[in-house]
Amino acid sequence: MDLPAGTRNYTYAQDMAIFRTKTHWAMLLALLVILFTAPLYWGNYWLSVANLIGITIIAATGLNILTGYCGQLSIGHAGFIAVGAYTSAVLTNRLELPFLVGLIAAGVFAGLIGLIFGIPSVRVKGFYLAISTIAAQFIIIWVISHWESVTRGFLGISVPPASIGGITFVSQGSQFYLIMIIVILTVFFAKNLARTRVGRAFIAIRDNDLAAEVMGINLFRYKLLAFFIGCFLAGIAGSLLAHWIGFMSAENFTLMDSILYIGMIIIGGLGTTTGPIFGVIFIRMLQQGIMFIAPSLENTFALPAGFTTGIGPMVFGLAIILFLILEPRGLAHRWQLFKASYRLWPFSY
Amino acid sequence: MNWKKLLKIAGVVSLALVITIIPLLSAGCAAESKVKVGFSICYTGVAAEKGRPMGNAKLDCMKYINEELGGVAGYQIEVIWRDNQYDASKAAIIINELMDKGCLFFTTNSSAMMTASAEIANRAEFPGFAVFSAPALTNPPQHIYAQMPDYGDDWAAFSKYYLENIWQGEGRPKMALHLLNNSTGYGARDAALVLADELGIDIVAIEEHTATTISEIESLTRINALNPDILYISSTPQPTSIIIKDAVDLGMYPGITIGLGHASITSQLIEFAGADVVEGVYGVYPTVNWGDDVPAMAKMTEYCQEYHPDDYGNMDYITSWAEGLIVAEILRLAVENVGIDNLTPQAVEEYGFKKLDNFDVGGLHGPVTYTPGDNRLSKSVRVFQILDGEITPVTGWVEAPLIPYEFD
Repeated sequence: MDLPAGTRNYTYAQDMAIFRTKTHWAMLLALLVILFTAPLYWGNYWLSVANLIGITIIAATGLNILTGYCGQLSIGHAGFIAVGAYTSAVLTNRLELPFLVGLIAAGVFAGLIGLIFGIPSVRVKGFYLAISTIAAQFIIIWVISHWESVTRGFLGISVPPASIGGITFVSQGSQFYLIMIIVILTVFFAKNLARTRVGRAFIAIRDNDLAAEVMGINLFRYKLLAFFIGCFLAGIAGSLLAHWIGFMSAENFTLMDSILYIGMIIIGGLGTTTGPIFGVIFIRMLQQGIMFIAPSLENTFALPAGFTTGIGPMVFGLAIILFLILEPRGLAHRWQLFKASYRLWPFSY
Repeated sequence: MNWKKLLKIAGVVSLALVITIIPLLSAGCAAESKVKVGFSICYTGVAAEKGRPMGNAKLDCMKYINEELGGVAGYQIEVIWRDNQYDASKAAIIINELMDKGCLFFTTNSSAMMTASAEIANRAEFPGFAVFSAPALTNPPQHIYAQMPDYGDDWAAFSKYYLENIWQGEGRPKMALHLLNNSTGYGARDAALVLADELGIDIVAIEEHTATTISEIESLTRINALNPDILYISSTPQPTSIIIKDAVDLGMYPGITIGLGHASITSQLIEFAGADVVEGVYGVYPTVNWGDDVPAMAKMTEYCQEYHPDDYGNMDYITSWAEGLIVAEILRLAVENVGIDNLTPQAVEEYGFKKLDNFDVGGLHGPVTYTPGDNRLSKSVRVFQILDGEITPVTGWVEAPLIPYEFD
């Protein structure tokens, strides 16, 4: 880890610590205080935006572990999120099981489905693996739409609010706490995973799977493990999404969503813990900005109704193109550069 | 000064401008003595072919009400509209924003977007209505209403019309359903499952298609093998045009009767498929047609031709102009019943929505009435037929009684 000038690590524990200096701890504390007092000064709208960002960060972190760290391209992530959403919806609505059971089962079931669709990754990679994961997207959504006795098909299924130990998370504020705690646990897990033997094996497979195999890494095991973890987190995100929206329909999980998740981790920075956070915030805020500014522009400049609605698709396309050309390592890399420059300031070197 | 530095300064200045201009722009919209209403519109996304003309119509109608009628009960209507892009998570955020911004109620165009908003709205007792709706939205009735009869009602109305006016054979006619793979399509199926036996119709096939389908030859070949008398399509114009064209190519049509739900039969269908292909096709729609002699037609046509001439002839525009008139009536009733200072979403539901009684939307569709236990505001439809490239009414208003769904 980059450290401020003059800071040295004298023990292994110091070297491994995520938060190393007092400044790190102070900034973490400040961030947590700001985060957990947000419901006091944010309205429902901003809390719902934050909730969606939080849920998306969990899902994008899963995809980042699978694609960013392990190099297994998945274009069926929205399908795995759907598995989690419906598992939780069915367990809590139809079987009336507690939310926590639904949440964990959503992760495990999505992970297991991910394992099935991950099996081709042993024999195919790159473009071919992408195609097989697209198949996952279509198969999952088809099954959800037509397994009416369980999922209620196109009628959709209502989902009760999350509830733990008698506390029911109905308001956006209470859901915010629930979601943010899970986001923090997810990011902490992802950060640590990347520093373990498993994480290093993922990176080795991503960089050169042949060399990794020669080094003794079991490709079959680790690729499937990456699929399981990535899809487990997708399932957790799906469960939270279901309880947040309160009603699930298979229409909520489209191929475009899966592609958007890829876009988010590219913009954020593949293979970094902070990448999905930056990418998700960037895309979701961009969406909100466009949604907000379009009607205002029309009102202010007396444009015909609907005149500005083309802005959204244009800006997203442009953002992805610009990032791929100008900053392929994503916003996480920009953040690293900023931190390095801040630490050395006012000296250039 | 080098280019990099110049770019950085330009970036910072642009950011500062954007941050400054957003509150200024929104401040420009704010004013006192206004009643706020929220529209969640699918202006872009896969349902934009319907969402755009509908959005245009309701915003045009609000402009008309504010500028020519002076608002409702002396108060201007402040509209907060957002493009949900036909995306459930955006719809969920929008509903929260509309509640936050003090809207008294909200509307959506589509049943799918209302589905994504309904649970949050119901929990918060924030009323709203969907222009096009599916049976599941109002069964059981809570705080969500339907402007017009739903896709299930279309099926029932068409089936009754067919049995009474078209069917000449013996025994029970055979019907094949071709459904869009969402609530638009399956709303019709739900009604068919409940009523087909009672009416005396055999449902011989249920096929589905996607909104982006490019060929339905395969599904129609399966249907053709079953020799149906009727092909009923509940979908949107684009896929409906593909299905009818394929039915013509396979020699199925003409020969059988084709009936359409209200989301399918618009001028865009004729444009996409060609007038000769869809000649003779029947459809159910809950509004009058363009050019009909009804009181609201002249003003609506004037606004449409002035602001959105491309939408002229599109029946979705009529639907949402009527939506705008209903929005104004709900607000008028609420303001007059409880006063401007006591307006809350709950008060608007109680003294606006629930006080609607035989409200005439300028003849654009059936009268609007709240009936306890039935959250469909208008309860009548008309059967149309495409003749010489025109969508021509073949019936007057047909009542659509509440179908006894039993959703678990």
